Amino acid sequence: MLREGIEQMGTINIANDKGRDAVVGSVSVLKPVKVRWLDEQGRQIQSGRVMKAHQAHELTALEAAAGGRDKIAQTLIDADPEIDMENFGAMLKESSRVYVNPEGKIVRKVRQFEVIRNPDGTERERRPRKIAQPNSDTETPLKWTGKLMKKKEVYNKFVFAKKRQIVHVNGLTYDFLYGMAKDLEKSESLMLLGAGAKGNQPLVLTRGGQQYRGFLEGRTQGEKYCLILHLSNMELKSAPKGAE
Amino acid sequence: MAKPLVLSFGGVEIPLGLEKVERSDLYGFVEIETLDEQGRKCSLATLADDGRSLIGSGGISLVTLSPEGNWLQKKACIPTDNQGKKVEMVPSSYAAPVPLSEVVSIEEYLSHDIRAVYQISSEADLGGLMAELKKGTIYRFPYSFRGGLEPDAGFLLLASDGTAFMAVGSPTKLEFVGFEQSAGIADEESGEEEDLLDFGMM
Repeated sequence: MLREGIEQMGTINIANDKGRDAVVGSVSVLKPVKVRWLDEQGRQIQSGRVMKAHQAHELTALEAAAGGRDKIAQTLIDADPEIDMENFGAMLKESSRVYVNPEGKIVRKVRQFEVIRNPDGTERERRPRKIAQPNSDTETPLKWTGKLMKKKEVYNKFVFAKKRQIVHVNGLTYDFLYGMAKDLEKSESLMLLGAGAKGNQPLVLTRGGQQYRGFLEGRTQGEKYCLILHLSNMELKSAPKGAE
Repeated sequence: MAKPLVLSFGGVEIPLGLEKVERSDLYGFVEIETLDEQGRKCSLATLADDGRSLIGSGGISLVTLSPEGNWLQKKACIPTDNQGKKVEMVPSSYAAPVPLSEVVSIEEYLSHDIRAVYQISSEADLGGLMAELKKGTIYRFPYSFRGGLEPDAGFLLLASDGTAFMAVGSPTKLEFVGFEQSAGIADEESGEEEDLLDFGMM
């Protein structure tokens, strides 16, 4: 095994500089939380979710029931309608997310649009929502774009927000990935990876997930290797003046 | 005015102003608008497990519970490591000057997930520090905004556009793998090079 308790093991279809591709492992490199909270008797505590308030007792509902905002004060004094003694503070276990209309009623059929806004908040485009589909483990492998970027020139050009470690799944893919890591290490560079047939599309790892540019870095240590897929969705640069 | 982060560099204390730069500041952002059949805007709510109560934004709280399910004050609880030893809390980085003494390599910096970046500014003289950053030096220091259990990794570096930034991130568990450590398991015309690095299209 790669390491004890591998979590979030995925697969990725990746091609090398010669266009040879293979499905290999992709591992999360997030460090697990190491802290446990104990009560005063040394027992592990737990967390839970409780209801603080619900819509039937919020301002809009109270206003409608009282017949105007100016009449709410007296009803608050007379009957505490803002408090639901039965439910407030109740533990929530299996709740669901739903859409509600302006009247606070559940809506079962919705249409969704993406409103694309400029940095200043002005609308640039409006279009029906399109959910991005994952493209890192499809029949079309992630491709080396041929665009090598020296590490010393690229580390301060992009914000590398996430990474995945690429690992072999058998002897053949060990040779494949080790060779890739060795080549990249020798070049002291990161290779820009692209998705799609042209290899120029951003990477999407999960359905509806964030789109990233992928940069592959290789390190070796004797017969061992470390192949890292860096993910970035922004450049490291100052914001244009006036952007809010 | 926000309290500055004070870095101690070469025996001098430098108060820094931090301005967060986010993706939306550079490229804009996408809002998802949800409409019902009459074209009215809808919002998300939580339907409680009684199947009737609709909970709006801010209507749910997280609480700490004993093994029996009784409420506890989080501050009365004890954070421990995996050996059961108490973990000491770290103070906020804004409570005292932070020494800037550790220099890291590009590989060490690249071994972190960067969560936030802040453009720095100062009314103090940044000349000496900027001269070091221009050489490509990357400084690392423990950073905690509020104080807490474990500080994040703070980095000070110069962006390729010449702006000094503080980057805040978390270390990752990258490791070298050998042969025995197995993990189990179409061309079209090339686009313009600029397209490959067009972060605005995402």
